[in-house]
Amino acid sequence: MTETSLYVLQQLINGLTIGSTYALIAIGYTMVYGIIGMINFAHGEVYMIGTYTAFITIIGLLTMGVGSLPIILLLALMTAVIISSTYGYAIERVAYRPLRGGPRLIPLITAIGMSIFLQNYIRLAQGSRDLAMPALISGGIEFGDPAVFEVSISWMQLIIWVVTFISMTALALFISRSRLGRACRACAQDRGMTNLLGIDTNRIIALTFIIGAALAAVAGLLLGLYYGTINPYIGFMAGLKAFTAAVLGGIGSIPGAMLGGLILGVTEALTAAFFPSEYKDVVAFSLLVLILLFRPTGLLGKPEVEKV
Amino acid sequence: MTKKATFGKTLVAAGTLMAAITAAHADTLKIGIAGPVTGPVAQYGDMQKIGAMMAIDKINEAGGVNGMTLEGVIYDDACDPKQAVAVANRIVNDDIRHVIGHLCSSSTEPASDIYEEEGVMMITAASTSPSITEKGYELIFRTIGLDSLQGTLAADYIKDKIKPQRLAVIHDKQQYGEGLATTVKEILGDAGIESVMFEGVTPGDKDFSALIAKLKRNNIDFVYYGGYHPELGLILRQSREKGFDAAFMGPEGVVNSDLAAIAGDAMEGVLATAPKSFDQSPENAALVEAFKERNEDPSGPFVFPAYSAIQVMTEAMDATGKTDPFELAEHLRANRFDTTIGEIGFDAKGDLTEPTFEIYTLHADGSKTPVSK
Repeated sequence: MTETSLYVLQQLINGLTIGSTYALIAIGYTMVYGIIGMINFAHGEVYMIGTYTAFITIIGLLTMGVGSLPIILLLALMTAVIISSTYGYAIERVAYRPLRGGPRLIPLITAIGMSIFLQNYIRLAQGSRDLAMPALISGGIEFGDPAVFEVSISWMQLIIWVVTFISMTALALFISRSRLGRACRACAQDRGMTNLLGIDTNRIIALTFIIGAALAAVAGLLLGLYYGTINPYIGFMAGLKAFTAAVLGGIGSIPGAMLGGLILGVTEALTAAFFPSEYKDVVAFSLLVLILLFRPTGLLGKPEVEKV
Repeated sequence: MTKKATFGKTLVAAGTLMAAITAAHADTLKIGIAGPVTGPVAQYGDMQKIGAMMAIDKINEAGGVNGMTLEGVIYDDACDPKQAVAVANRIVNDDIRHVIGHLCSSSTEPASDIYEEEGVMMITAASTSPSITEKGYELIFRTIGLDSLQGTLAADYIKDKIKPQRLAVIHDKQQYGEGLATTVKEILGDAGIESVMFEGVTPGDKDFSALIAKLKRNNIDFVYYGGYHPELGLILRQSREKGFDAAFMGPEGVVNSDLAAIAGDAMEGVLATAPKSFDQSPENAALVEAFKERNEDPSGPFVFPAYSAIQVMTEAMDATGKTDPFELAEHLRANRFDTTIGEIGFDAKGDLTEPTFEIYTLHADGSKTPVSK
């Protein structure tokens, strides 16, 4: 392979890694939008809380002398998912459910308020400095001619792909095969009718918040391990990027969120590859504007049907 | 009649009390200490705070200044220019006329406009951007060398000692980082060492894999980074993971024990320009002990400059017998002072007349050793 193609390959690998995590977080935006038509701006903070929980668990286990990596990761994953899901559920219960049925603008404002509250709450509780953790999983594979360009894939990147793939497959199966999944789809199609047919729609809505939060916690653990540093402000940018990914793919559509995340990640990496890297956000967001101009519903979104 | 007498007594008592309060008020001189107490760079604010507070306590122990006791009042600007303006206004409203701070150049700059206008003296112990003292202000001073001096020092070292084949200059697009990066790039460019890459990164970003792949592709062997430690730490850490092993150099904004926590082993051997380690100089040994007794770390780059800022301010008060900022400013410009950062003087702009930076090699355990020139 030529030097340029190896270089592009390396950037694709970088882009797919970051894109996978955008996709995981984007699921939370898109599912909530699909069912109740609101944008949960506090979702980025749920991701941040997931990262903090995972970090604290890992550091706690390390200081307790637990040396087995699989046990550490499993426990960190479990606590992060449980704590984040609890937050996801609590946010819905406290801030959104009482306002259901009101004008659309009101839950949007509460969501922004919730986001600011959570960010500052973590800042006060955990301090605003960057917390850092030693690399637990290092190394990787390298290929390509060292004299031309050596492509490297770290184990952490592979883990991110595999875990994202498993989570996405599990979610797709859950939505398409299980009874609860069917209820979710029914809710997304017509909430009023679903309610009439005897399904507790409030429970289904709470469930979508929990699923979204759990996937955000998975992303939180993965990115926390990958980068090794966190601070209370990471939720904002991650949330913004994931939201963009969800809109890009078509908000409300789960495959759309996956596709949108990957496209956004790859676009960023390729932009940084061939232009000064300060332009990567400019290009990524211009792409969003372009796609929305030509496909207002996003890549895989369905045009909104006027409900009678 | 009895009632009236009681009332009269109360009135007298109240009057005495008031007088006592006023007297106590006149006996303390409040000095504002403005910098980040919260936010990502709060640890730098800590350095300034412990330095200034120690100086205030030492001076109070020695009897204060002109019969007054000093009192340090801490203000938090979170290194945010908007909050810095609010803090500056609050300091003015609190009737404080002497300020140590601010810390981040981007905060110091807007705050200094307010201080100059309102007749408040400000000495910054940390802001190194040249533009702060370029407006011809009377009341703005600093006890730290300029950014441009730091850039010049770094550039000279790179061109004389490192002689890189393929140089990259990376910065964080902020006033401090980009300013330094531009200076380094220009000086080296004049000396015939062209920067193969000159790029900005987004502060707060976590993913530098694309940038590192590009550095690797361009066969960069030396990187100068203008910015702070959170981004450089991640760049170093991710470089190590991706097998990119060029040498790195940064300004004093990266010299921080948190860099070691973030970058780990990848930090070993990174070069940095930083203010001289005043905690190593024998004249300050007693002070270093005093800091250690309080469980404070005197090794931060802004601790002794902040201490010295209080020193020169109070020495000027002593010599003039006044606290009026304009008279103090005149005295500061006209004299030389013996401080914990050495013998210093100020030029017409309010800058130090001698540089206070040195080049260090940083180590993975967070310590640093001076580079022999």
